[in-house]
Amino acid sequence: MTILEHTAELEQALARLVAMSERDYYDPYTLFDWPASLPDDAYWMSPELMSVHGTKVGARLTEPQLRALSKWESINFYSLNVEGIRELITEVMMRIHTADFAVSSEYLHRMIGEENEHMWFFAKFCLDYGGKIYPDKSLRLPVADQSPLAAHFLVFARLLLFEEIVDYFNKPMGTDDRLHPTIQRINAIHHQDESRHVAFGRQVVALLHRRLREQASAEELAQLETYLKRYLRASVDGLVNPAAFRDAGIPDPYQARTEVLADEAFHEAERKMLKRSMAFLVSEGVFADDRMPRS
Amino acid sequence: MTDATTDDAMRIITDYLLAKQPGLTAIDPELDLIENRILDSLGFVNFLYVLEEQTGREIRMEDVTTEDFRTLTAIRKRFFA
Repeated sequence: MTILEHTAELEQALARLVAMSERDYYDPYTLFDWPASLPDDAYWMSPELMSVHGTKVGARLTEPQLRALSKWESINFYSLNVEGIRELITEVMMRIHTADFAVSSEYLHRMIGEENEHMWFFAKFCLDYGGKIYPDKSLRLPVADQSPLAAHFLVFARLLLFEEIVDYFNKPMGTDDRLHPTIQRINAIHHQDESRHVAFGRQVVALLHRRLREQASAEELAQLETYLKRYLRASVDGLVNPAAFRDAGIPDPYQARTEVLADEAFHEAERKMLKRSMAFLVSEGVFADDRMPRS
Repeated sequence: MTDATTDDAMRIITDYLLAKQPGLTAIDPELDLIENRILDSLGFVNFLYVLEEQTGREIRMEDVTTEDFRTLTAIRKRFFA
């Protein structure tokens, strides 16, 4: 039995996503205007989406400091996209045209192509306007043994959650008139493509978890839930980067990060950010509840 | 960095790891942190920032290997020597 079974429902859904991808196709290399610079005294990120919004650290910052931080937090956000997409493309590449994922190969070609383009424009933004991509600080350490099915499930669940978190930012920033038109445009375009990727991700994650429930023990399912919640924790905490605080000229950047992660306002923002994902995961039985581990 | 300052930094690092492991009250300096899942991929970045704060410098991932984080002794030797 293949991991992703050929069903009429899945084939129809994939055909619809492929058609939408072809309908929405654009050339990213010519689509955007890339001005020589962006104004340093403006917000680069919607203030409500900044990590310090509503926190005690945020209350201590001056308006110029907040604007500077919005620049570097946006560079951090796009850097996380570059790193996340690299992982996504790598994992999907390892599965395309294998027997287990053959039914989705036509769609996966579109997805890989689009993600490659997203990585290009996010990286270009970081390099042109920030002079750097914030480096990935993660270290791949050995993980406990997993069944192949559990490993596939975790890959697609991670990708889905990564895309849903990113989309929480892209959607409002794509229409936020306080932001430069180039910033609005890259967020709007990314939101358009990610809507399709999220639709696919939800289908696959639900299908794979249904299979897991037939095969895995209650203990293994609980371990997967713990793992994914810790993944969400790490993803949300990654939005608060001490290097961004440092680049914005904020003193004691590590202390500022620790304070933000301990601030209830940050976790309230996190609940809003994860609300849609949590509701999906609980309704599909992937999570028993929507409680998150603390930072 | 003096021995006393390093001792303080290592205590903060150890306390951070212990806070994430409610079942533990102490960590042997030679205990394999990775094998024993005290340090894993998902908790690594937050740990690294604690380490950077204590060393006072940014750690470039291209300059380190898994072995640098294997034990408390290895961490002390690699980042505080």
